Amino acid sequence: MSNVAGNLVFARRLRVAIHADDPQRRAMLGKVVSEAGHAVVGLEDAADIVLADGSCPPGETRNVVALGITDDRLRGALPHEAGISQIDAAIRAVAAGLIVRAPAAHERGFGAMRESDRQALLTPREAEVLGALAEGMTNKAIARRLDISLHTVKFHVESLFRKLGARTRTEAVAKASERRRNETIVL
Amino acid sequence: MSDPADFLAQLSGVLAARAASAKDRVVAIRAGHGRHITGLVWQDGVVVASEQALPRNEEFELVAPGGAVVTAKAAGRDASTNVAILKTAESVRAPALTAAEAQAGAIALAAGADGAGGASMRLGIVNLAGGEWHSSRGGLIDRRIILDIRLAHREEGGPVFDAAGGCLGASTFGPRGQVIVIPFATIARVVPQLVKDGRVARGWLGVALQAVAVPDALRESADQPSGLMVMSVVENGPAAQAGIVAGDIILSVDGTSVHRFRKIASHFGSDSIGRKAELRLIRGGAVIAVQATIAERQAA
Repeated sequence: MSNVAGNLVFARRLRVAIHADDPQRRAMLGKVVSEAGHAVVGLEDAADIVLADGSCPPGETRNVVALGITDDRLRGALPHEAGISQIDAAIRAVAAGLIVRAPAAHERGFGAMRESDRQALLTPREAEVLGALAEGMTNKAIARRLDISLHTVKFHVESLFRKLGARTRTEAVAKASERRRNETIVL
Repeated sequence: MSDPADFLAQLSGVLAARAASAKDRVVAIRAGHGRHITGLVWQDGVVVASEQALPRNEEFELVAPGGAVVTAKAAGRDASTNVAILKTAESVRAPALTAAEAQAGAIALAAGADGAGGASMRLGIVNLAGGEWHSSRGGLIDRRIILDIRLAHREEGGPVFDAAGGCLGASTFGPRGQVIVIPFATIARVVPQLVKDGRVARGWLGVALQAVAVPDALRESADQPSGLMVMSVVENGPAAQAGIVAGDIILSVDGTSVHRFRKIASHFGSDSIGRKAELRLIRGGAVIAVQATIAERQAA
């Protein structure tokens, strides 16, 4: 019985083609899509959804989930800084025929300045390790670049996961970039 | 003993009279697609609106008290306090507002524009009345006032009155649909600057900062657990001219620790422009002092 229930997978595996101007964003979105359980396919291949970042492929007629583009004709429109769960939810919703929008900044309301959680502040070294993670570097490569031991890199990565509340490297990078957006102060 | 029914009728009569007088203080600001938001007639020809709700147009059509349509120009916006002003082409007058202080539990009446020259009203109580706070855009808001009132989007920006008819400020939406009040004192402080310059002058260093933990090895010499790391420096800005580079960790400004950002935001008001600021920062593992001249922030 439990076996049958376990095999009932409602979350369909979708074919997602990615269009991104920036190769680093492309790589990041590719990871997000595969971690969400979908298949990344080429732009010319048959795809259920086109995930477009920054700009839309000209003449695209398939269902598009776009990041950082405001166009009323798009089926899915998310902000540039959308998180993994929002991207996954938008892909599934648009594939199911729904229209997805994120509330505009003013609809989020006029709020107070957020103080960073003191316990979760990264050290400058952790920020460097995070930058390397964002580039998709392995622990070994990070150790070489920062001239520290592999053991120390692992230690920093563990600490990053804990402070950011992330379970994977992709999630850590996504959460850190969300935090950067919310908590950067311009003086 | 007075009849309770009389008392109810009296209360109702007073509320209806308040609505009638509120009508002269609100205008509907047309926002396209048949929608509108509410403006508060602050002084002759000057209408205050909620900055976050006001479309980024240059010109607007307003429905003035009584139903006349007048045109108005956007004449200034300050996102940090959520105050925007419009100047009307023709005179739009309202009796002077009296400032009132919010008290938790006290009755509050929120007025909105109905779009046809009249007012719509909401009745509730002040849910919370607290001290000053800083908005996410760095503005100082004189009081924290949360209302136990539901508001329609078209009513955002209207005046909120207390039981005696004094004005607590203008309504707006906070996070999660919460209805908050931009206090009268904040509006009164910002409007003259917007009328004069179209903006609120702020001090500027030309840096983007993010809070970081001070590395253990430097905790003692830094004498604080966190600082603000410079993420980027605006070319030729005041910080760049002072030799500040990305990666520096700012510990204090003029002796005020940056351990809490709010304190730092209040350090860069309009009076800071032109002043020399002494920055203590960590660079290359050492604590050093750098002097920078605060400039005026360019329009966003």
